[in-house]
Amino acid sequence: MADDDPSPTVPEVRLRDLRPTSSPVEVVGRIVSLQRREIVRKSDGGRRPLLAGQLSDGTASVRFTWWDPPREGLERGTILRATGVEVGEFRGRPELTFSWKTRVGPASAAELPRIDPESLPLRTVDSLRTSDEAFRLEVRVARVAERTVSVGEERRVVYDGLVGDRTGVIALSAWSDFSLRAGEAVRVVGGYVRAFRGRPQLVIDERTTIVRIEGAALPEAAHLVRATPRSIADLEDAGGAEVAAIEGIVVGLVSPSGVVYRCPTCRRTTTGGICRLHGQVEPYADLRARIVLDDGTGAATVSAGKEATEALWGISLDQARKRLREQPDPTVLEEELFELLLGRRLRVRGSATKDDFGVTILPESIEAAEVDLDGAADELGARLEGRG
Amino acid sequence: MGLRETAWRVTARELESSLEEEKGRGDRAPTYLWSPFGARMSRVLLAGTLSPGEPIGRDEPTSFWRARLSDPTGAVGVTAGSFQPRAMNQLRSATAARPAIVVGRAHLFRTRDGVGAVSVRAEGIRSVAEGQERGVLAEIVRQTLDRLDLMERLEKEPTVSVDTLRGDGIPAAWIAAGRESLRRYPNVDRPAFRRELRAAVRRVAGDSGPSRSPTPLPASVTRTVVPPVRTTLPAPTAAERAEESLFLDFVDEVSEVSPDGYADLKEVILRSAERGLASERAERVLNRLEEEGVLEEPIVGKLRRA
Repeated sequence: MADDDPSPTVPEVRLRDLRPTSSPVEVVGRIVSLQRREIVRKSDGGRRPLLAGQLSDGTASVRFTWWDPPREGLERGTILRATGVEVGEFRGRPELTFSWKTRVGPASAAELPRIDPESLPLRTVDSLRTSDEAFRLEVRVARVAERTVSVGEERRVVYDGLVGDRTGVIALSAWSDFSLRAGEAVRVVGGYVRAFRGRPQLVIDERTTIVRIEGAALPEAAHLVRATPRSIADLEDAGGAEVAAIEGIVVGLVSPSGVVYRCPTCRRTTTGGICRLHGQVEPYADLRARIVLDDGTGAATVSAGKEATEALWGISLDQARKRLREQPDPTVLEEELFELLLGRRLRVRGSATKDDFGVTILPESIEAAEVDLDGAADELGARLEGRG
Repeated sequence: MGLRETAWRVTARELESSLEEEKGRGDRAPTYLWSPFGARMSRVLLAGTLSPGEPIGRDEPTSFWRARLSDPTGAVGVTAGSFQPRAMNQLRSATAARPAIVVGRAHLFRTRDGVGAVSVRAEGIRSVAEGQERGVLAEIVRQTLDRLDLMERLEKEPTVSVDTLRGDGIPAAWIAAGRESLRRYPNVDRPAFRRELRAAVRRVAGDSGPSRSPTPLPASVTRTVVPPVRTTLPAPTAAERAEESLFLDFVDEVSEVSPDGYADLKEVILRSAERGLASERAERVLNRLEEEGVLEEPIVGKLRRA
């Protein structure tokens, strides 16, 4: 890393104020994510190393690409000052490129723009979009749970949850332990929003400040996790939801459902003991049902796990496996499950994501729904006679 | 892409009235059936009384079965072949009429006199308690009324924006289907169809017994297509017609899974033979269908519906 004095003619720019420009700029920022790659030149097959990631100065974070970066001394959290940086644009957002003309040197946290939390805009949950940062947010924690994840070789504890205000709810992912409890109201300064499975998610980490507040104006936790029933078409339009409730009729079952065998490492279903990722494995048995629920406006796949499937089916995984030993054809069991579920009216609550194949619900609860026949007949009769 | 087809809630009467088809473009694209009442159907959901199944084709073992589903507004044929083993088993095992829910694909067939007839190839059939059948019928009537209300609104306010309607909670697919139905069926008596739903509401209320196979109602929309000029062939018998229908089903089955959308002739003949339609009879049926312009063979050995 060259550590020359920054050229006095080039102004230092806050990342929030970056605009694509032909003249190089100077920036200060902290690396929040990085990934080393190599690009193979088509002409001669030569390899050129590059580093790509996100740089943040607390006012915004932007993608950067660093050609021929130093081999070491760079990691998540490193603060650097760069002069002669090119500002381009990708999909309408500014992007930085460090080339041979760029001089990069280490910087200290004191050189980062000083951000007065009071100067940051107070945002509402429904206004948050992916990649937003530098905002204040006042929310109530609706729920939070600890989870262990693998990040590369490392095992880390994250706290997944749901927070919300009067305008809506958003998933929460905390990478530091803030001892959050369901029901608490907090002010969040220094969080950012990323996309996770196509849904926005509020991320808070060691750079975030959490302050407990009274939050008298915020809805109660129980209210935040309550979902009013909506149509599947509506859920498709919205691109999913953190908490959703739908009601429909079972019209199909996606194969394989019933008894499935999963890879012990990644939990993917295996075929003939072979995992798509880990090859030959010793799979373990599990029960699941991927139910196609249709309400006449659209169809959603409800991915029921072991407990939910056992409850719907009325038999346990062990009983199902016993049956499988007597009748060693898993499709027979799947047919039986389909026969049992087809045409049943279910009310499902859970989180909904959307991809190219439509809406998938990870259910928190599945219950049978009843129809009030007399009420329906009265209502429909009135609608018919009202017009004639 | 990839989105699952919604199961439109329809009455038998609405299916009987649907005579406009939209062939999907591209490989394995579904075919849609347009109803005059605002539905663009590939998959449908019906509730009613299902008659015992009967095999199609004379020779054992038959692997194509047919039954009739009646609701208080009309009746429609339900078929299932070996591609739908669970549904076929339901048709095969039933010995008496019973309340049932049927999920399947709507298909339009044209008989030789040019009248269209819709049948449902079942993907799933479930015998249910009467209360459950009435519950599903209630949903069918409610959504049918919702669609009729939407069409009335579209007729009165032709310029109303999709966003406004969606703001009122109406699915975008319904709005598009409603507009297209108005365009395709400009002269349909929708209020008359609305009145016919009264019988279904009585059934929801439990005032009428299970739907019997009704006397055939005159279709409110009849589109007559001039049949192709018949040459020397004598009028086919009922048995021959059944064979034709079976053969066409085989063509559909084979073309549905074929990469180029054509049904391979050898495969159709083979399948026919497996299910009791001997190859020389199948050839005769094929010739008749080709002469009548129902089927064509644009490439030697490759069949498709004309």
